[in-house]
Amino acid sequence: MGKEKIISIFAILLLLVGTSSAVYVEVNKISTASIKINGQEYSIEELFNLGEIITIDTDEGEKIGVSIESMIIKSNIGCPPCFIYIIKGADGFQQTVEWEIMKTGILTDYPRVYFPDTAHKFWVKGVYEIEVKQQ
Amino acid sequence: MNKFRLLAGILAFGSLWGTTESYIGSALDNAGLPSGSIMTCFFAMSFLLFSRLYFKQAGMQLGMGVVAGSLKLFNPFVAGCHLCSGIAIMVEGAVFEAIWFFISRDLKELKSINIQVSLGIISAYFMFIVGNIVTQILTPVVQGIGFYLNDLIVFLPRILARGILPALIGAVIVPIIILSLKIDIKLKDKLYYPTALGISLICWFIVIGNWFLA
Repeated sequence: MGKEKIISIFAILLLLVGTSSAVYVEVNKISTASIKINGQEYSIEELFNLGEIITIDTDEGEKIGVSIESMIIKSNIGCPPCFIYIIKGADGFQQTVEWEIMKTGILTDYPRVYFPDTAHKFWVKGVYEIEVKQQ
Repeated sequence: MNKFRLLAGILAFGSLWGTTESYIGSALDNAGLPSGSIMTCFFAMSFLLFSRLYFKQAGMQLGMGVVAGSLKLFNPFVAGCHLCSGIAIMVEGAVFEAIWFFISRDLKELKSINIQVSLGIISAYFMFIVGNIVTQILTPVVQGIGFYLNDLIVFLPRILARGILPALIGAVIVPIIILSLKIDIKLKDKLYYPTALGISLICWFIVIGNWFLA
């Protein structure tokens, strides 16, 4: 088989991988009507009533939301520093963070998490679950 | 090729790439457009491929990635994830270098439109997905937060899916760049260094200079 044919077949294969991944992502889309924390479902309003509303400074300006620290403490998770937290977004993106980072953050009403001192990669969008896991 | 001439080329093309990433990339991001995909396939591919086929020097694109990535890292003025983008840009340069290392620098061997389109797809797709994967790993490591493999595994299908747009635009960009090389562009030796250094200085000034003005 010639070099040109191999390169063309490889390019087609890559497009097939991309297309099938796009289909998989579309099929597994998640609704963000509520947020599950440690297995319990909450609406955004409930979470805003549960925790303290604070403003934090980020490199994108001020952000207002419910303090994750107060939200987690009030959602009856004993010993928050003993766990790691997996924040899951509707687009399939998730980030695992430790309590030291988690307690600095907020959850906005859009719903997105912001942490003042981390790269934007940790600012998960469309949050639908915060899984609490043993370290 | 003269080493200083090559260094000046790396600096000029890398600075142009970094400046477009800092400003156009951020503007696309603010407009809610897929800036990573558009920047990778359009600007990065154009600068990398043009310089590769014009200078015909291996290693140049790796250097351009380092220059462009550094410029993005030093850009505190425009909103966006500078660390993630800076790492992604450097990786894109390295991936391009790795792919094109095995491909002839002789334009005659890249004559077939079929091979041009295929190379556009392969280069842009790999640059985007490898850049993205390495960013997911290195950003938390560099920040000292810790990397969790499972975070990457669950996000992998989306990264692979997002690579489609850069791949398709890459398929169009490569033939266009190769066609543009038929225009005889030659810069006189006397003008080469002032032009390369002038472009670099302007680029670094408008990015870094903003840091002092902000």
